[in-house]
Amino acid sequence: MVIYRCEDSLESIFTAVYRAYEEHRDHEDTRILLHDEPILFAEDIRVEKDANKAVKVMRTLERKFGEKDYFDLCSALATEDEDKADAVYHTIVQGLKNDCYPEHLYDNLANAHVLKTFKLAKYAWREIHHLYGFVRFQELENGILFASIGPRNNILTFLMPHFADRFPSENFVIYDEIRGIFGIHPAGKQWFLQIGEEKPVLKYSEEEQIYSELFRAFVSSIAIESRRNLDLQRNMLPLRFREYMIEF
Amino acid sequence: MELLTTGQNMTITEKLQILTDAAKYDVACTSSGVEREGNGTDMGNCINAGICHSFASDGRCISLLKILMTNECIYDCKYCQNRCSNDIPRATFTPEEICTLTIEFYRRNYIEGLFLSSGIIGNPSFTMELIYRTLYLLRNHYRFRGYIHVKAIPGADPKLIEMTGYLADRMSVNLELPTAEGLKNLAPNKHRKTILTPMRQIQQGIAANQHDLVVYRNAPKFVSGGQSTQMIIGATPENDFQLINVAENLYQKFGLKRVFYSAFVNVTGDKALPALPGGPPLLREHRLYQADWLLRFYGFKAEEILDEKRPFFNVLLDPKEDWAVRHLEVFPVEINRAPMDMLLRVPGIGVNSANRIVSSRRSGNLTFQDLKKMGVVLKRALYFITCNGRMMYPVKIEEDYIVRNLTEKKDRIQFGTDGMSYRQMSLFDDDRFTASITAEEKIRTAVGQF
Repeated sequence: MVIYRCEDSLESIFTAVYRAYEEHRDHEDTRILLHDEPILFAEDIRVEKDANKAVKVMRTLERKFGEKDYFDLCSALATEDEDKADAVYHTIVQGLKNDCYPEHLYDNLANAHVLKTFKLAKYAWREIHHLYGFVRFQELENGILFASIGPRNNILTFLMPHFADRFPSENFVIYDEIRGIFGIHPAGKQWFLQIGEEKPVLKYSEEEQIYSELFRAFVSSIAIESRRNLDLQRNMLPLRFREYMIEF
Repeated sequence: MELLTTGQNMTITEKLQILTDAAKYDVACTSSGVEREGNGTDMGNCINAGICHSFASDGRCISLLKILMTNECIYDCKYCQNRCSNDIPRATFTPEEICTLTIEFYRRNYIEGLFLSSGIIGNPSFTMELIYRTLYLLRNHYRFRGYIHVKAIPGADPKLIEMTGYLADRMSVNLELPTAEGLKNLAPNKHRKTILTPMRQIQQGIAANQHDLVVYRNAPKFVSGGQSTQMIIGATPENDFQLINVAENLYQKFGLKRVFYSAFVNVTGDKALPALPGGPPLLREHRLYQADWLLRFYGFKAEEILDEKRPFFNVLLDPKEDWAVRHLEVFPVEINRAPMDMLLRVPGIGVNSANRIVSSRRSGNLTFQDLKKMGVVLKRALYFITCNGRMMYPVKIEEDYIVRNLTEKKDRIQFGTDGMSYRQMSLFDDDRFTASITAEEKIRTAVGQF
């Protein structure tokens, strides 16, 4: 067995996929792992990430499987699952081997790897979609909108395009508290990620208090008392999101 | 404008509370059906799936800023909180106030857009004009590109409704009550005809606009998210069969996107209204939504779900299970071979899992284990399906047996932790046999008293 050991990043994992093909491995007997636990009788290969190779893989995937299925592969890799790299790798292998049409990568759900990738992608997508709604911006003194999130998956990269499209003329920042990543969008410019900065001390603008108060009033008066159903509310809006939402 | 003088000295918080409270019985709060990307300068975009931004303590989603323009109303509908004979605080928003609220809430990602309805102030056309003016400001002055859902006021000038339609994403006219008779009893100022006229107008507007869009790609879009309506359930004595027939007609003849059902809440205490000691008829509302989904996505017809002899929903079984146990002659269905429309009729298989089954059975035969992983609810489906000619367990295809298993919790086939185990029913299943023996019982046994 051959094992490619790489780090937890898109670039590194896709480089490993490239090398598995470049070195003509038997894919059934090859794995891509993110951890360093030794496996008996296996040949370990450490993968150094290589932007060129990763980009080649990405381009092929997008061309072969279509934009949506490629997006799902990437979102599966945004989860924190230990075996995600291996599942994605074998999904790619079976997709290329069966020469599947665009948007048909996940047809064969009876295959364990495909099912796993599909589930991971769904899991990540669900959180992305939740956060499209649950992110709460607060206006700072200088007019910048600031939001904190604490997602289970590393999905800031997927949130930024949505909000950049929505608020093109706003300066806004989304801060992933768990991973310490800032997503920064200057008004009218391209957004980017910033890693390793300290969280600044926040001073909110005067209006911020007024509007968050108004929204709280709105949320409490929109509820119909005779239909009260806190279990349903908790099903739809899990408690872990509420920490970051001003109305709770 | 002299009509807009009341409540001008209120703070915006008070107004928001009053007008939200007045709007909350409107059901529709969806922001789906429109895909519009940002244009690079103005604020806002729309996502086809819709986005829920929060959930209130009744579990309903908060997607749009749902408010009334005013809760002043010249009508006296008996079920409505805002009826003119009701003594409640009244307030009116100015168009500018609504725009600022929408923009500031939207910027902070509290909401997906605006849902604007209104009581009738002055006359229907005047009210519609106010709504139009608000939307015009919001779209053209504030350059807002988010979602807007607006009510068309029955009886308003058709020209005003048309102009508003070009600014809104979705329009709706409330049917209020499912039959003309009910409407006459409870809403003396509203008439079936005045409600259906704008509905028809919007339908034709959408159809004409689709034609325009084919010819001119950049033609302005008219109500691109479609139109919806809502009915109040349980205020009048209609049966469920009538209700789903009305819904089916609306979908077919008026091309509606959605029909919403609102369980009646008695807010006015009028003597013409039923008292509901058990709270609003939520189960009935739930069953109606289930039937509504069967109509729209599963290829069912209203007369298949219910008929004149059985005009009410089964309380214990959902409409699909109910249909299945009455049509056991078509079951069991072979998963690896059955056509899509037959798969959709199996309880426990939804649209998504049916799609997954159809696409994955191309690459090999499916087993029950695979079905479970794909999201089929086997505890409901197992009575109706076979995989490769075998049923999951040796079950009888017999109405009484299946109904008993689907409804009674303790009689259900027990599922183990892996969800796949099967426990043989036996005489000793009674939990009295497995319970530990109490001290009292020991004494009674020792002294010979059974």
